[in-house]
Amino acid sequence: MSHTVPGTPRTQDSAPPEAVDGPAEPAHATGTGSRPAKAAASSKVPFRRRLRQDRTLILMTVPALLLVLVFNYVPIFGNIIAFQDYDPYVSTNGVTAILHSPWVGIQQFRTVFADPQFWHAVENTFLLFFLQLVLFFPIPIALALLINSVVRPRVRAMAQAILYLPHFFSWVLVVTVFQQIFGGAGIIAQTLREHGHEGFDIMTDPAIFKFLVTAEGIWKDAGWSIIVFLAALAAVNTDLYEAAAMDGANRWRRMWHVTMPALRPVIALLLVLRVGDALTVGFEQLLLQRDAVGPGAAEVLDTFVWWTGIRNQDFSYAAAAGLIKGVVGIVLVLTANKIAHLMGEQGVYKK
Amino acid sequence: MTAVMWKPAKEPGRWAAPPRPVWEEAPSRAGITAKSFGLGLACLAVLVPLWIVVVTSLASKKTITRAGGLVVVPRDITFIAYKELLSGGQVTRAALISVGVTVVGTVFSMAVSILCAYGLSRPGSLGHRLILMLLMATMFFGAGLIPTYLLVQTLGLTDSYLALILPSAVSIFNILVLRGFFMGISPELTDSARIDGAGDFRILWQIVMPLSRAVIAVITLFYAVGYWSAWFNASIYLSDQQMMPLQNVLIQLVQKQEIPVGLTQAVRAGPLSGLAVQMAVMVLALLPVAVLSPFVQKHFKKGMLTGAVKG
Amino acid sequence: MSRHVSWCATKGYAMTPNTPSAPSRRTFLSSTAAAALAVGGGLPLLAACGSSDTGSKEGTTAGKSAQKLLPAFVARNVVTPDIAAKNGSAAGFTQAIAADQLKASVESKLGKGSKIKIMSPFWGTPPANDNTYYKAMNAAIGVETTWQNQDGNTYDQKLGAVLASSAIPDVVVVPGWNLGGKIPTAINAKFEDLGPYLSGDKVKAYPNLAAIPSDAWQRSIFGGKLRGLPMPASYVTNIAPFYRKDIFEAKGWTLPKSADEFLALAKEITSAKAKVWACDDMSWTAYNMFGVLNGSDKALGWNLESGKLINRIETDGYLEALEWTRKLFSSGVVHPDAKAQNQGDAGNRFTAGQVLIYNNDLSGWYGKSAEQAAANPKFKMAAMDIFGHDGGDPKLWATNPAGIWAFIKKGSSKAVIADILAIANFCSAPYGTKERMLTDYGVEGSDYTVKNNLPVKTDTGNAEVNGAWGYMSSSAAYVAHPDMPDITKAMVEWQQRMGAFTTKSSFYGMTITEPSRWTNLMNDFEQLEKDIVRGRKKVSDMQQAVSEWKSKGGDQLRDWYKKLLDANGTTAS
Repeated sequence: MSHTVPGTPRTQDSAPPEAVDGPAEPAHATGTGSRPAKAAASSKVPFRRRLRQDRTLILMTVPALLLVLVFNYVPIFGNIIAFQDYDPYVSTNGVTAILHSPWVGIQQFRTVFADPQFWHAVENTFLLFFLQLVLFFPIPIALALLINSVVRPRVRAMAQAILYLPHFFSWVLVVTVFQQIFGGAGIIAQTLREHGHEGFDIMTDPAIFKFLVTAEGIWKDAGWSIIVFLAALAAVNTDLYEAAAMDGANRWRRMWHVTMPALRPVIALLLVLRVGDALTVGFEQLLLQRDAVGPGAAEVLDTFVWWTGIRNQDFSYAAAAGLIKGVVGIVLVLTANKIAHLMGEQGVYKK
Repeated sequence: MTAVMWKPAKEPGRWAAPPRPVWEEAPSRAGITAKSFGLGLACLAVLVPLWIVVVTSLASKKTITRAGGLVVVPRDITFIAYKELLSGGQVTRAALISVGVTVVGTVFSMAVSILCAYGLSRPGSLGHRLILMLLMATMFFGAGLIPTYLLVQTLGLTDSYLALILPSAVSIFNILVLRGFFMGISPELTDSARIDGAGDFRILWQIVMPLSRAVIAVITLFYAVGYWSAWFNASIYLSDQQMMPLQNVLIQLVQKQEIPVGLTQAVRAGPLSGLAVQMAVMVLALLPVAVLSPFVQKHFKKGMLTGAVKG
Repeated sequence: MSRHVSWCATKGYAMTPNTPSAPSRRTFLSSTAAAALAVGGGLPLLAACGSSDTGSKEGTTAGKSAQKLLPAFVARNVVTPDIAAKNGSAAGFTQAIAADQLKASVESKLGKGSKIKIMSPFWGTPPANDNTYYKAMNAAIGVETTWQNQDGNTYDQKLGAVLASSAIPDVVVVPGWNLGGKIPTAINAKFEDLGPYLSGDKVKAYPNLAAIPSDAWQRSIFGGKLRGLPMPASYVTNIAPFYRKDIFEAKGWTLPKSADEFLALAKEITSAKAKVWACDDMSWTAYNMFGVLNGSDKALGWNLESGKLINRIETDGYLEALEWTRKLFSSGVVHPDAKAQNQGDAGNRFTAGQVLIYNNDLSGWYGKSAEQAAANPKFKMAAMDIFGHDGGDPKLWATNPAGIWAFIKKGSSKAVIADILAIANFCSAPYGTKERMLTDYGVEGSDYTVKNNLPVKTDTGNAEVNGAWGYMSSSAAYVAHPDMPDITKAMVEWQQRMGAFTTKSSFYGMTITEPSRWTNLMNDFEQLEKDIVRGRKKVSDMQQAVSEWKSKGGDQLRDWYKKLLDANGTTAS
């Protein structure tokens, strides 16, 4: 985790490597002196004393920890069925059925890797990911800059309130609204026909489906995504603008030399997060439209796992595909983060 | 910072532009035009579909039949769809359930998350790295549907509203945002309280939370929106259709174009259009968040600033 | 990510392809149910994905070994039907019977007061458990039921999870199209063998169950044991091509008699500008026109032809049907929302006049007519006779004689089983009995009122009396709509005419458990069919898929089925 507020000095490389919470610590410790050297030299304080000192803090995390352990960790062990030919009905309940299902080693993974449909889903996933990265990602930044340049507070607030709205639409609603407007029997196609033109149907065309999905995503979430950028923009010290203006920088140059550097850590962070999540390109949205264009265009990893697991009840196979996705996701996050570090950015967590 | 500096001493009316800092050049006419055009276009892209949904929900059966579907130009306005939906029955009940689950769930989630975020906010405290890792790892690995279902069922939570709250009560992302904000609070404040003998609970309650109103408002909204728009857990953990929250009813009505129980006659033979009913349910589902979020909006900047931006 | 869990799900409504072909009988009786059915997105057809039987016991039980399991058949004619069943059709009743003329088919209350939890699919919004109708049924039978009426469109997800848990309800209703994947194993493992209670003469303790036709019971043998309580159905195809008779008459259009005529007429009808398209997705009717083997069950898709078993996907008719449907789509006569599939419901497009021909379960004839009667008195619809693609007689294949079952949890006490059988016996009462009247119409005064000697459901009735109890098993197929005698007659006669062209394929009426290694072999065909007719894939892609299917196990599966046939013989006539 990084804790640098944009605009404050970057983490120093001298920060103790084990301190996930890096840069703030020395400052805190030296600044107050009430807990001398605690952060900097925590390992030297005896364990018992630390326990006594911090037990309330630990206690406070217990409820959340318990919930996560129960609802996230316990079921994760269910993934061991990826190494089985799991039949949930072989025993009195699905849990004990794990004990009775035969072990097949990595057989499921072999099958997954040999399945052309799996690779097809992977291909679609990456295609959609890149499209979203190229077409979607810059839009919130542009919108944030636009809104930030509006000085009238009321206009700003109104525009923000409007742009946030679609985020609260559920996918069912978004897809329905798009179909009713852009579908073959939708408002636009019908209006065209009434005026003697050919109608069209972009909702069922596999060739442009990837753009449709991206457009829907932009409509729904681009407005919401500007929040983070606006926050970063608000944190830019105005003195910097003034100083730049004094030095003769015009509007564009100020944006380039003051605004953009302030946004850089945020952009880097969000890019890393996005890359780490590359294999997740909109499950619900795609599932809803899978029928409209067919799996050829709409099958991605998540829908593939869903389809094989729930529809075909091939639980072990689905678990194997899910595990592959999880592992690749972690590798992607680590890689993206590494690259961010190399470029001098913070990334998601500190080295 | 910017906002503060730009704020004029006396507000000359909130629509007016605040005075420009002296160093800033006057905007060009072309620039203003381009800006208004861009922003206007973005807002229209949102408002037009919304307009269509709202207008259709307010249209009579005759208007909808004439339009052959969604209505763009309102010819008449009738609140019959809303009146029928809110006069008791399926949708009213589902809406009340959603409100209940959202309120209880949000309070619970906030309590757990704030405690946890504070517990992890002091740099170098014992075990916080381990706990943090444990929490964050769940952002990358998930369990399947069947194991999760079996767990919830084993815990005896099926057919209980707890199943809509507990499994999704903690969002690690939200905890990280809160924690980031708490960590940004000047340690002088908490440390001096500590010297005065205050315990961590008191520090959290009396010092940290009042200072964190912005982020708390934002995260509360996040959780509330989450609970309000959730439907999947209800669809698999609840058996009794009478217990279903609004989103599930909405899906049924919109996706499957069903007609709410009790309105069948009004739709078939009466003045009510099935499409208007669907659109009205959409509006109802959207209304609370649409009304609430502008109030929280002013906190977004500050709340997210020290939180999300810091990751 | 944990998100996945919560994202999942959508599938239900987006995808559960196919709603019921089966609740047909029951839904005949209830317009709302029929509406809900249609709304479910669906049309029956390719419930195909499932419907095989695996489990410890592969294969099937037919012939002599089945005879030992089957309950004795004791016919019951309380009221002579106005139209007798013929050619496999249902029996038709066109007259209402006054309350004081109703007979009793259950002499004494059989229930002993057990508390019984029942999970069943439900299309529409289920009523609260303490409603008048359910309470009256409980009181009349002598049981205390708690219903878990689940959304029928996402029922397969729920079913999989519930069967894997240790809290299985006392009764679980399973439609045939939800028998995909490992569900058949689950049925064999989790549900009680009813043979000790029903086989042979034992069934006579439940006279209404004894009147259920034997081929419906035969279909209820799962994993070598009689496990299901069936809802019998006519074996004549349930997919009827409906058209808007009122509009056809006004425009002077005549019904097509061949595939080419259909296409020509469809082009004439379509006027996208006026928001009128000729038809919805006509795939299922196309299969019938081109004589393709039934796709609603894997075993039905095989037939012995000159000594060799042929699967439906290997036939020329199959490819021709796909090609023809593809032509419909490409000539723009199919409604765009039908192409998109995820929008709304074909039945609504049909009643709104945006689509003038669509195919659906035969029960829709009454359902839609009753639904439109008040709002749109001019509305008239009818089913056209299915024609052979070349203009000759069609070649139709029989569908299964039972498509939905109630199962009893394994290990239930004798008392509970007896009470569940009491429910089934009550719900299987024939037309003209008090029990049937209560099951179909509910409580007079609250659920229905009598006008002109005809029972008419109230709004409450439409909400409460909506199919659920009928899934607990039912009497032999019948159509009874005294409020619309003409339509009742037309429905039965359509079945009889179509029944005359209907043949039973080699494995008709058998519930077959395929070896598990081959159960997923045909999973992708339904999707491929959809892709081809919508022009996203070519017909040659299907030919390739078929040859892959053969090499990946299709040919071995053929041998396996052949052995089964040699060992058991066929029940087909």
